[in-house]
Amino acid sequence: MAKLKLESFDAENNTALLSLDSSVYTLDVLYGAAYALIDRAYVLLDKQSREGGKGSRFIVHLRGKRKLNKDTIANLSGEFSNELLSQALRRKVVKQNGALIEEIVTQAIAGAAGAALPQDFAEEEDDLDFLDDPLGIAVPWEEKFSKNKKES
Amino acid sequence: MSAEIKLRLHRSMYMAQAIKDAIGIFEDFARFEMKRQDDHYNVDIHDIDPEVDGDLAGEFCNFALAHTIERKRKTPK
Repeated sequence: MAKLKLESFDAENNTALLSLDSSVYTLDVLYGAAYALIDRAYVLLDKQSREGGKGSRFIVHLRGKRKLNKDTIANLSGEFSNELLSQALRRKVVKQNGALIEEIVTQAIAGAAGAALPQDFAEEEDDLDFLDDPLGIAVPWEEKFSKNKKES
Repeated sequence: MSAEIKLRLHRSMYMAQAIKDAIGIFEDFARFEMKRQDDHYNVDIHDIDPEVDGDLAGEFCNFALAHTIERKRKTPK
């Protein structure tokens, strides 16, 4: 049986009926495609078990919000099929690159929220005077050198 | 008087709470009865307000579906 099949379309009632193999398209993919179309069509989803209980098929009823002819109903069904593929690919990419996407977002948020500002240091160094020089950086080279010379 | 509409919404695809939300939104325009039967929720729509312009059953289905999807997205897997 076909993986995706346009079962029927009825121009008089403005409807198309599609059936999809549930082992090929997951429910999440179906939801994504249906959600993308609900501004233009009425969507009703159903599920049918196969005879003998082996697997199932999703049934999609699409009805145009505006009066559609045979061609536009067929186009709507085609758009739905394309959206299914797009959603399936999107989910695959997210699954493959999920860790990388998470890492980039984490770094971006940390960078935006955690940047050190001058006022963050102000309280810690409150008791230090600007003339204090605990590391001796401000001592001229000559003084250091002359001391060393005297000692030697 | 408008005809009764019967909808069958599969339980694995529509959340009960989303259907109840939809009933809450549309109950000013019709009378709704929701029953659980086997794998489906059966929703009967009666007494649709004749002033209603548009496809009430279609809008109801879209609302229930959209709310199901949004609720499932919010629920951690």
